[in-house]
Order: sequence, then structure tokens, then C-alpha cells
Amino acid sequence: MSNLTLINHDTKLSDIVIAEPSALTVLNRFGIRLGLGDLTVARACTQLDIDPDFMVTILNTYLHEAYFPERIEATFKASTIVNYLGQTNNYYIHFHLPVIERHFGLLISKSDPANNNLGLMLKFFIEVKQQLLDRIADDRDRWFPAILEAEATATAIETFIRPDEDDVDTVEDKLTDLINMMVIHLSGNYDGNLALAVLMALVSLKNDLVQNNRIRNRLLRPMFHVLIGQ
Amino acid sequence: MSRQVVIILHNAIEATGLQRVIDDTFGIDAHVAQGIDELLQLPADCIDLVVTDSQHFVENLRTFLPRKARTLVLADQPAHGDGDINIIDTLHGTERIVEALSGFLGDKEEEPSANLLSQREIEVLRLVASGMINKQIANTLNISINTVLTHRKNITAKLGIKSVSGLSFYAMMNGIIDPK
Repeated sequence: MSNLTLINHDTKLSDIVIAEPSALTVLNRFGIRLGLGDLTVARACTQLDIDPDFMVTILNTYLHEAYFPERIEATFKASTIVNYLGQTNNYYIHFHLPVIERHFGLLISKSDPANNNLGLMLKFFIEVKQQLLDRIADDRDRWFPAILEAEATATAIETFIRPDEDDVDTVEDKLTDLINMMVIHLSGNYDGNLALAVLMALVSLKNDLVQNNRIRNRLLRPMFHVLIGQ
Repeated sequence: MSRQVVIILHNAIEATGLQRVIDDTFGIDAHVAQGIDELLQLPADCIDLVVTDSQHFVENLRTFLPRKARTLVLADQPAHGDGDINIIDTLHGTERIVEALSGFLGDKEEEPSANLLSQREIEVLRLVASGMINKQIANTLNISINTVLTHRKNITAKLGIKSVSGLSFYAMMNGIIDPK
């Protein structure tokens, strides 16, 4: 991905964001904003009362595809990761999805009304958005409570299978298709700047989902299996 | 421009079967030659691919070696030997043969316009977009499921679209199916 080396307690946050700007979305979910000064991971965590090992693990999992944390169940509480992923889901609901929809609306309003491509792409996006919202609702109503209950009671509970695991086409697959559709197949007259804004927002959402899936699949899912005794 | 494929096999039934597979998969009407003499009468520059068997190949090395880059040899035993000769082991079935044929027939097809679908691929896309699963598509078009899968793989490679929803919206955008 980038030339960024593995992050540790002494890494400066500004170095991380300059090397990989998408890391700012992760820092935002911890309540850290721009104007980072010379804050290191350790000092930021002290100020915010966050376990620095947790932030290091989240950042490395998010930013480094080849990074696999070990024995996380002995290091963190599952509720900490649930809390982080809950913040991430809120970010999609309140920021990412509305921004894309707003950009799409503007793009269509400023483009040739006879161009049906954009309207159909917006309909495709609405379908993808609904699938993501359904997944988020499932996290909130079923998966996260099941994890928290398992952690609190330390008892094995009924095996929980996420419904989207059986889906042939995931949200990420469909977003990739929508991006490719715009890049390869968009035709007719349209506003180039607004089309770029939509495209960048879609790419940003897809990348964020893929990178956060590593946190779901490499941190939370193995931890859940330990909790339910599998 | 359509591809020129010539099939020369000793077994006429196999030749007809292969002709059908090439038509179903690539939309190319391959010519079944009755023997090496018929091949020699065709202008070599116009032939994109000759598919033959090992017996014909060995018996006519002087004909095949100069055009070995555009010759595919079907062998009924595991291939080994000269790596310059394109040999495909038929024991692995149709899918392997289609894959090998794609190496010859797919690349050139992408030169003029990588995202142009063949007529057969458009038919498959229309059925995918209308909600059919692979088995239904195979039954409707009277082709094997493997051939449907090959068409779908080619459609995805050409369009950059993999999901059923994405393919459906592409089909609507291009008038292949009516918008919902």
C-alpha cells in the first residue's frame, strides 16, 4: 500500500497521516482530529485514555494488508473493538453514504437530463447503500450484542453466522462494480468535476470498507470464536 | 473481423463436438478440414488457429512446425516435451480445452474494443440480468454449465463488472433489458 513502516507507540501521528492520509478516518473514530502537532501514538492515547496497544493494532491492521495480529484475545477486550467498529458504522451512516448520495444528486442535476446512465448508477448505489445499512443493522442488533454477551457471561452461546457471509455479491463487490461502471462505461454529457467527486467518494468508501474488514475478520471474528469456545 | 479457426482431427465426431464448443463459447464458426491437403489450400495468413491431434501433427511436421505458434495440439496423454508447441491434454475435459482456446482467441478479440461483447455473451448477459441462475441459462441456451461459466468469466473480464446487480444495471444502461 504505502511505504509506511509498522506503527509503534513512538510513531508520530502526523507521520502516519502524511504517509497514508486514509489513516485520518481511523484517528477520527478515536476522537483525534487534524492539527496533530508532534503527538505520538503513546501521548495521544494517554490524553484520550485509550490503550495504546489497541490503537497500534487497529492502525497496523487497517494500513498493512500483510499484518496479522497475534493472541489478541489476551490483549484486548472484544467490547473495545465492537465500540470502534460501531463508530465506523456510524461514520458510514452519517457521513460517507450521505456525501455520496448528495454528490450523485448534484451530478445528475447538472448533467444532461437525457443521459439515463447516471440515474441508473444512482439506483445501483441506492441498492448497495441499502445492503450496507442492512449489514450495519445486523451488526447493531445481532452480532455485536452476541459478542458482548459472550464476553460478559463467559459462556458459549449459539453459533452466530453473519447473513452476508452467504451472499454471493458483497457490498464491496458491488461498489467495485459501480466504480468500474463509472470509469469504463459512463457515456453522454455530464459534469466532469462532479463525476470526479462521486468517483473519489465511492473509492474512499470501498477502500475504507475493505480495510475495516481486516479489523472485523482478523481481530473481532477470531476473538468471537474464542469467546464462544469454537 | 471474425476469427478463422480450422479443425483437423482423425475422429470426425470429436471434430464436430469441438466445432460446437468453439461456436458456443466464442461465437466462431470453425471450419472442419477433411485432411492436411485441404488445410494447405487455405491461405496461411488468414488462419488464426489450427486445432489438430498429435497423430496429424507428427505425420505433418513440415506443415505444422512453421506455424506452431498458431497451432493447438490435442493429446490424450499428459503433455511433455518441447515447450514451444502448444499441447493440451484432453484428459482434463472441455473446460481445459476452452481455457487453452481462450489464449488464442481471446487476446485478438480484445484489440479493437476490449469491452465489446459477442452476440452469445449478450444473450448470456440478458439472461443473467433477468435473474436466471447458471443452470437455467445452460438449459435455455442448450449449452453446458461450464460454457455458461466461461461466458460469464469473459463478460466480467470485458466489462469489469462481476455482481449480478452490476450486470443488470449495465444491461439496462445499454438497452439489453428494459429498465425496472
